[in-house]
Amino acid sequence: MIIHIIKRDGRKVPFNIEKIANAIFKAAQARGGTDFNVAMDVAVEVCRLYEEQNPGKTPTVEEIQDLVEKTLIEKGHAQTAKAYILYRYERTRSREMKTNLMCVLNELTFSPAKDSDIKRENANIDGDTAMGTMLKYGSVSAKEYYEMYVLEPAHAKAHREGDIHIHDLDFYTLTTTCTQIDLKKLFTNGFSTGHGFLREPNDIASYSALACIAIQSNQNDQHGGQSIPTFDYAMADGVKKTYASRYFQNVARALSLIAGVENEFEAVDEIKKEINEKYDLKPTLENANGYKEKEMELLLKYTDKETAEKIQDFATRNAEKETDRATYQAMEALIHNLNTMNSRAGAQTPFSSINYGTDTSPEGRMVIKNVLLAQEAGLGNGETPIFPIHIFKIKEGINYNPTDPNYDLFKLACRVSAKRLFPNFSFIDAPYNLQYYKEGNPDTEIAYMGCRTRVIGNNYDPTREIVTGRGNLSFTSINLPRLAIKADHNVGLFFEMLEEKVELVIDQLMHRFNIQSQKRVRNYPFLMGQGIWIDSDKLAPDDTVGEVLKHGTLSVGFIGLAETLKALIGAHHGESDEARELGLEIVSAMRKRLDEESKRTGLNFSLLATPAEGLSGRFVRMDAKKYGIIEGVTDRDYYTNSFHVPVYYPISAFEKIKIEAPYHELTNAGHISYIELDGDPLENLSAFEKIVRCMKESGIGYGAINHPVDRDPCCGYTGIIGETCPCCGRKEHSNNVAFDRIRRITGYLVGTLDRFNNGKRAEEHDRVKHSI
Amino acid sequence: MKLRIAGTVNDSIVDGPGIRFSIFVQGCPHNCKGCHNPQTHDFNGGKIVDTDELLDMIKGNPLLDGVTFSGGEPFCQAEALAYLGKEIKKLDLNIVTFTGFTFEKLYDDRSKEHWGDLLGVTDFLIDGPFILEQKDWEIKFRGSSNQRYIDCQKSLQAGRAVETEP
Repeated sequence: MIIHIIKRDGRKVPFNIEKIANAIFKAAQARGGTDFNVAMDVAVEVCRLYEEQNPGKTPTVEEIQDLVEKTLIEKGHAQTAKAYILYRYERTRSREMKTNLMCVLNELTFSPAKDSDIKRENANIDGDTAMGTMLKYGSVSAKEYYEMYVLEPAHAKAHREGDIHIHDLDFYTLTTTCTQIDLKKLFTNGFSTGHGFLREPNDIASYSALACIAIQSNQNDQHGGQSIPTFDYAMADGVKKTYASRYFQNVARALSLIAGVENEFEAVDEIKKEINEKYDLKPTLENANGYKEKEMELLLKYTDKETAEKIQDFATRNAEKETDRATYQAMEALIHNLNTMNSRAGAQTPFSSINYGTDTSPEGRMVIKNVLLAQEAGLGNGETPIFPIHIFKIKEGINYNPTDPNYDLFKLACRVSAKRLFPNFSFIDAPYNLQYYKEGNPDTEIAYMGCRTRVIGNNYDPTREIVTGRGNLSFTSINLPRLAIKADHNVGLFFEMLEEKVELVIDQLMHRFNIQSQKRVRNYPFLMGQGIWIDSDKLAPDDTVGEVLKHGTLSVGFIGLAETLKALIGAHHGESDEARELGLEIVSAMRKRLDEESKRTGLNFSLLATPAEGLSGRFVRMDAKKYGIIEGVTDRDYYTNSFHVPVYYPISAFEKIKIEAPYHELTNAGHISYIELDGDPLENLSAFEKIVRCMKESGIGYGAINHPVDRDPCCGYTGIIGETCPCCGRKEHSNNVAFDRIRRITGYLVGTLDRFNNGKRAEEHDRVKHSI
Repeated sequence: MKLRIAGTVNDSIVDGPGIRFSIFVQGCPHNCKGCHNPQTHDFNGGKIVDTDELLDMIKGNPLLDGVTFSGGEPFCQAEALAYLGKEIKKLDLNIVTFTGFTFEKLYDDRSKEHWGDLLGVTDFLIDGPFILEQKDWEIKFRGSSNQRYIDCQKSLQAGRAVETEP
């Protein structure tokens, strides 16, 4: 006689045979059954069988249900058995949904971020705040919903089991990843943010303010990064306007002071108007357009030649000084704003990037110089700014060699990066970037978005291979090491499985793209409504966006090439030539397949060296559990990023650059290489510049140098701090104030180690500096 | 030739100007209070390597601006380092040598123990013991303010220490 039953949560409760019979009867009813007694007979038989097989034991719910299935089939109730199995499955699914989701919500609600890996999944969100938690509630619920009801079962399974990772799954049906914003186009004739119209800006301060607003507004329409690909060119227009207006003000002042003109502002307005109407000229920083000569003629109406020359000289000097100052303040404001203004439910600052370095006009140079100086100065208390990511574009003939016009700015960029980790450096001369470059068209200069995304080639419309107005639509990464473990040293088998996996991901990207394509302009009031995205200005609010989205990229990413090679042939690409060759073969195979797919579909499929923030720990945890600890493969808390030589492996900077450079060419959706330096590179700038030059000469597309940036909040010292601040001699944690330690996590700077997830903490800890 | 070393560091940016290969020799008689590398003091510690091995490692890194001899006390193994230094000079790399002795002491006794030979291949000499009381974190590449950054070749010509800025 069964007295008790053990429920799923482990509780022992009195056994009630009627409950078993009821469940069976419900299944029978679903198939037209009407006799409860038959159901009861089956229940009785189940009890008898159980007692016979397990005398004296207390059954679990699962055991009883298994027996019910078996008994129904054996007694010839096949239809009822089917219904019962389905009923059981549905119950399991909805129970799992409830418990999983509720457990996660519970963790989000009651665990502090320091104890919760989910809360630290993204280092840019403060999971301890109300809005940060709210955002996570939405995010986890959305993920659960999509997995259950939206994704193709094969895709959901591959994602859940860690064969692939669908990035930003919580936004699966909502939006696309990122955009490179064309500010010049946006500002011309003004724009609207939804609650009001903003006129075309008229000086550098409003240019920088509106740049921030554009980034913030667009961030509300997308889940990925926002980038300004031609920042210097766009801001230069603002400098030009500021210079002209400051020049006129100073002429007016001088006219009044030394020429005794009474209605000085009216006088200047007249001069301005006349020259503008007759010759279409304005005063400029370069001062070579003939404006001054025309102005001189008109000034002579008010004063003598000698005084007029003095006036012009005074106005030129002061206008330049004031414009320079105004530009610095505008850049300072931009950096401050981008570190404070919130977006995405108020829980995150936008992921912003700015690319610059190649505008050689005096205005562009003024922008570049001042944005670098503002970055060097840091925030209010001298803290290292986290946003925006600065990317300094390097180009021979523009800023690379000592005779180039912007070489001084490259030197300055090295100095600032040696102190603040940004700017990173991008290389227009790398052949795969240079192929798009058209002199005099900044839209064809390669730009990168923060975490390493790159969008320039355009298979959909080869006449528009430009950076502006375009971005990535979505990306999904493949767990390469798992394939290698499964292949068990069989390289041929590995390639077969890789091909299958790439097919699966292509299929999944298309599934997502088809959903994205159904969206309408009104779903993206800024991105599409204000014409940020290429060609969206030709659409009406209720048009679908599918066609214009084809300018974007669909990217397949990968993680852990190093562990893959270890698992396949026992050595990674830092260790052996054989591994180096195989590594390139693997990545080339993926790229080749994506090129074919682009050709076949007319879309832009591309290969990404995945940044893998939450992912680096997730895959390896699952694989270690599944396959055990394998030396060099699953024995760490993270998989190595994309094609990087493992951070724990000692290797010279030169060799690391040489080994990683060929992968930059293959990963056309984005890439970055890092060199770790120990010591303060500010004390040794020639070493810093040499490494940047080595990257350029080796064919790297995008690179950055990591070094420790510590700061003592008490005395303000920034540099390397061990246990004791070298400036004030204070020990860490004395006065209960810890040192700030800025580190780079998958491309983004993070102020303290607290927000790193576990995988990333371990990775940071293991990094070998290419020096002591 | 054989050299007893504590270790080497590639791509160093803290042991002299530019990117350097640093050789930390093993064995030091100075026993400075607060020494940064006390594990290098024992003359029987570390390991013995061939200078050719070191030379190969140096040749393998085209990014180098120079090589730094540190330690330990390089002048306790001046003969091997002078030999290695000559080979390094052929690669068009400069040499920075750290020492706990003063330039004056080394110059006066330059005829003994190959000290003169090692000075002969050294471009920049950072001299003097580390003095904890004079510890200074602001001066480049040095630990205490008594230590000087010396242009070694000019000093040998002049017969006195000629300081320079790193």
